[in-house]
Amino acid sequence: MGLSGRLAAYAVSGAHVLVVEVPGWWETRAAVERALTARGWRTALSPADADVIVVCGDPGEQLSAVVDRVWEQLPGPRARATALHTDEVGAALDETALALRDDQHQRRDAGDRAREPAGGADRGDMDHGDMDHGDMEMAPGGIPLASGGEDRDGLEMDVLHVPLGPVLPHWPAGLVLRCSLQGDVVTEAQVEVLGPAAPSPALSAPADERRAARRCDGAARLLAIAGWDDAAAAARRTRDVLLDGGDRDDAARQLDRLASRVTRSLTLRWMLRGLGCVDGAAVAARGLPESARGDVHDRLVAMLRQSRADLRGEATADEDRAAATRAALPTLVRGLDVAAARLIVASFDPDTVGVRREAVRA
Amino acid sequence: MPDVAVTTVSGAWALVAALLVGVFAVAAASFDGALAARSAGGGARAGARMPLAETARLMRQRRRTTVAADGPLWRTGGGGLLVVALLMVVVVPLGSWTLADLAVGIVWFNAMDVVVWAVVWLAGWGANSAYSLVGGYRFLAQALAYELPLMFALTAPAVAARSLRVADVVAAQHGLWFAVWMPVAFAVYCLSVVAFSVWGPFAPAAGSDIGGGVLAETSGVDRLLLLAGRYALLAAGAAFAVPLFLGGGAGPLLPAPVWVLVKTLLLLAAFVALRRRLPALRPDRFVEAGWLVLLPAVLLQVLVVSVIVVARS
Amino acid sequence: MFRVDSMARATYALAVSFVAVGAALLIVDLHYVGIITVLMMVMEMAIMAVYMIMFMGMNPALMPMDMVHDKRRAIGAAVVAFVVLAGGALLVPWPSRRGAPSGDTTAALGEAIMGSKMLVMMTISPVMVATIIAGIVLAAPRGRYDRLGDDLGRRPADDPQPGGVGR
Repeated sequence: MGLSGRLAAYAVSGAHVLVVEVPGWWETRAAVERALTARGWRTALSPADADVIVVCGDPGEQLSAVVDRVWEQLPGPRARATALHTDEVGAALDETALALRDDQHQRRDAGDRAREPAGGADRGDMDHGDMDHGDMEMAPGGIPLASGGEDRDGLEMDVLHVPLGPVLPHWPAGLVLRCSLQGDVVTEAQVEVLGPAAPSPALSAPADERRAARRCDGAARLLAIAGWDDAAAAARRTRDVLLDGGDRDDAARQLDRLASRVTRSLTLRWMLRGLGCVDGAAVAARGLPESARGDVHDRLVAMLRQSRADLRGEATADEDRAAATRAALPTLVRGLDVAAARLIVASFDPDTVGVRREAVRA
Repeated sequence: MPDVAVTTVSGAWALVAALLVGVFAVAAASFDGALAARSAGGGARAGARMPLAETARLMRQRRRTTVAADGPLWRTGGGGLLVVALLMVVVVPLGSWTLADLAVGIVWFNAMDVVVWAVVWLAGWGANSAYSLVGGYRFLAQALAYELPLMFALTAPAVAARSLRVADVVAAQHGLWFAVWMPVAFAVYCLSVVAFSVWGPFAPAAGSDIGGGVLAETSGVDRLLLLAGRYALLAAGAAFAVPLFLGGGAGPLLPAPVWVLVKTLLLLAAFVALRRRLPALRPDRFVEAGWLVLLPAVLLQVLVVSVIVVARS
Repeated sequence: MFRVDSMARATYALAVSFVAVGAALLIVDLHYVGIITVLMMVMEMAIMAVYMIMFMGMNPALMPMDMVHDKRRAIGAAVVAFVVLAGGALLVPWPSRRGAPSGDTTAALGEAIMGSKMLVMMTISPVMVATIIAGIVLAAPRGRYDRLGDDLGRRPADDPQPGGVGR
């Protein structure tokens, strides 16, 4: 094996994978994450960081378009795979590893691509037709400059329209939060869900453990966004044990340990206290579930507590309030910065399964 | 206080210093990879090979650019971190050898860590991307919080040694290391090193909630330079703590240069392990703590040190 | 004269010129003053990036700006000025040095500039900082009564986004 071959071998041994989850296939996504850890691969933080895209599920039209756009943004060498069922994950990843090692194929792929970024065309604004206005040609690179607006202190600041899009690390599947940002403060937001082509098939594992695993997953995502990778990894390990049908007692012990770690951490409490407070009246008025009461820290603790309760068999009769939760998001994040907004969305962990088309603005 | 600090010839020895920084950076990356793999349930040894795999992957990856990216500023930001780390170690004495025996060595280090402000912001601005810019501004907010405490924490050893020269500070620690009787200054210094390296609890500027922040649009060699720069800054900061707070090359048995390297390595390991213990400290909450808690504490520390120095003379 | 394409480039071109000033000071043996100049100016440029780019925005400043009115004559004047000054620096017979600088150049410089008014200078700077902070407090649109209620009793304070210490 020559030098370039050896380099390629080392490179592929640490590949970064961008995981795109279609609503309804969360177990496949969990399986992908587990396979990545087993191979020593990692999850990519952004398209620029990724070598591989794995789409978990069967995306609808809009979501497919998004995935294609993201695929365009991957620098080479790159590979792409789709996984519908948990069993297909290993084979899909093996295929991508082979594709990454295949120099011929990658060279051809690189040759086919453009050298310059495609102007303002993929911005979704309708302006790229009328760029020929003589006097006001303020559009470097084809993207019009931001217009101004008043911010929360009464200063005039530029407004950027940024979708917290469907492909973002630790983000609910298929959810799009179209934000108007001033600086990094969200002034307005609109919720949308990009759904699958066809609803996912019903899944097999026993309901209790699956529910507990789902809440563990939600807690893992919130901890990852809060910057505590260690605790997030512990939560993911527990989730994998539960999804695998492993030892319930072992999982319960791990959950208890994680819960005590989370409650004991003063820094975590300092960072999460007072964010996204929802009191009893607001919960009733907006139709949110009871567990959503309090701030982000309370909801994190509630997630872990409910997961533990599911394992003990105390099924909480929590009707599906997903739609109300999604509808409440724009008002909850308004006036806060992106970091707080992301923590709040993660603490609610809205379910996006079973949505056809929906858009709520605030 | 006269002290022997031989200025070695630059050129060849600067390369050795750069190599040492590189080795420490790789060691830190390796240790971090091992810790990450262990917490995820995989094998630590596979994790320790992370720097090799990541370097190979990034060298093989193509570079990319965005629409209307500010090329010169972006690439300056990208490569600047490594350069600043190398400039920082220029004043760190290895035993009795040093690359630059400045009369104001401590101020030089301070100036270099302020250049990091500019570098990280440029890396955020240059990419012409919302997430990248948010990362750059998060770093400035955080920097405003720790910089003044850092400046006063650097002043405390200077006051105790009555000089801004690094060799004098080492010589003044003959009796007792400064880390022992200026613990607040030492703690604030360590916190600031982690902060200006955009590491661990102070990594919101490169956080996963904004797709990697400053790293969001970089790939290939540019990304490698930024990532390596973070580890190099940690190594440089740990190296500078040794003459300033940990007695330089003092220690039994082994020669002075070896002690400097050992102490740097231990402190660097502590910094890397810090990432596992704490969640991210967001700038909007940390700023108040920096100004209302850290700054008065460090000022009190400097007062105490001054009183002791005056009483002793 | 420099012509740059955006506010960020203008800010950092200014930073580079200040670093050059610091380097010039280093060459005349004023080590402390030179390094402190670099430190302060880089920090100031970074803060300028916050105020002038983020808060001020100023769309025209983010476009390629051309602030020169008569390009050809301006370039001519700039080139002539540079040649004259550089030629002067290199060709003028500078007088030789009389005496030697004292051991501590920074202290000597301080004495020469501030002399007997050193104490006044040291007192003025905290007063200036206090004035700046007082000015900002007076100019802020939300005061204590907005945050803490009419009787200054509301806890926690009514802030759009809570700070870290819980004031």
